[in-house]
Amino acid sequence: MAHTHKTNWELIKNGMFSENTIFKMAISLCPSIAVTNSLKNGFFMGVSVIFVQTMVNLTVSLIRNFINPKIRIPIFMMVIAGYVSLIDMSMAAFARPVYKQIGLYIQLIVAFASIFARAEVFAVKNKIIPSIADGLGMGIGFFLAMIVISFFRELLGKGALWGFPIVQGNPLLIMVLPAGGFFAVGLLMGFFNWLDARMAAKREAAAAIETA
Amino acid sequence: MTTKDMAKITINLVVIYVLGGLLLAFVYAKTSPIMFVKAKEEKEAALKTMMPEADKIEHLGDWEPHHKHAGYYAAKKGDEEIGYIVEGFGKGYSSYINLLVSVDKNFTVQKINVLHHAETPGLGDEIEKDYFQKQFAGKTLDTLVVIKGDTPDKIQAISGATISSRAVTEDGVKNGVKMLMEKLSGGQEKKEEGGHGVKEGEIEEHKEGHGETEGKENEHGSHS
Repeated sequence: MAHTHKTNWELIKNGMFSENTIFKMAISLCPSIAVTNSLKNGFFMGVSVIFVQTMVNLTVSLIRNFINPKIRIPIFMMVIAGYVSLIDMSMAAFARPVYKQIGLYIQLIVAFASIFARAEVFAVKNKIIPSIADGLGMGIGFFLAMIVISFFRELLGKGALWGFPIVQGNPLLIMVLPAGGFFAVGLLMGFFNWLDARMAAKREAAAAIETA
Repeated sequence: MTTKDMAKITINLVVIYVLGGLLLAFVYAKTSPIMFVKAKEEKEAALKTMMPEADKIEHLGDWEPHHKHAGYYAAKKGDEEIGYIVEGFGKGYSSYINLLVSVDKNFTVQKINVLHHAETPGLGDEIEKDYFQKQFAGKTLDTLVVIKGDTPDKIQAISGATISSRAVTEDGVKNGVKMLMEKLSGGQEKKEEGGHGVKEGEIEEHKEGHGETEGKENEHGSHS
């Protein structure tokens, strides 16, 4: 992909739906299983990723003409690890209540394939504004996926949402265990693909009628 | 690849890494003192809540569970010691769990409080929850045992997090109480040592600072 021809809004939508990190591209599946066992965890992880993804895209795009293509990988790593440490340290000092909630996840972001992938595929080849839009879109897409997965996992596994009990007891404990993460991600991925296929079939049918 | 290319690449990499390193060093220098002060304040506040009846918490000494620095304290009401508080570490599933335990004069557990840990979100981190920590009230060395399933007088493991539950109960809390008993049940003779303790306490404060930063670094290391 060279320079993009999409508008910024198209780029954001692209990240949210048609190239959704989890459900369409199937990258960064590790966090989608590891930290989606409660809605709260999923939410905070999603928010952190939106921020890091956008900032990394912005920075990589900013220095893209300075990066020697041969060593772009270590440089992306520096940018990502730098931002993550930056957020980690600033939050530990200035936002301790929030840090206690999400401090555990912040450092995990360093190893996210999706952030690396967008720097490599998009930001390093595009101007700043489209890169920000792409980062935002990818981040929001990841956020939405985390919310959907963690919503079902917490509801089914613990009978609770955001820590508030809705059903007594643990209805389907396996859903909050790692194995349940695979079930949830797999079933949801299947559902969204089925939805996509159905919509595409409808569109084709409509087009066929028009041409007939 | 010519020498010129190699030089170019090297310079490119060095410049970016040095810039990144400087930026991080700058932010660390700005944030770490604030973080340190706040962490200390939080610890003091946490100590207070462990023994709400006490009006003074006195630093008695230090010990090193899992080669980490931790202190133990006497809770006083007026001049009378009403109990003790000990800081402990338990080796959990993915981190060392830092916790506080308060005991009365008979070394019966009153309260526990988990200060810091990096256990699995959603499973191991249930050790922070009240329903788990409340079980510890009234426990002694003999009953600090983790049971899978319902138990009337022992500690019930968190489902899906037996290792974390064990680490808190049988490592952190139990060893802390054991240590307190060994050090303090000497009775009257030890009282004098307690007197020393006050003086030592002031010196220890400095040591405590170092110990804590070391602990932090260790944990960061274990993450990566």
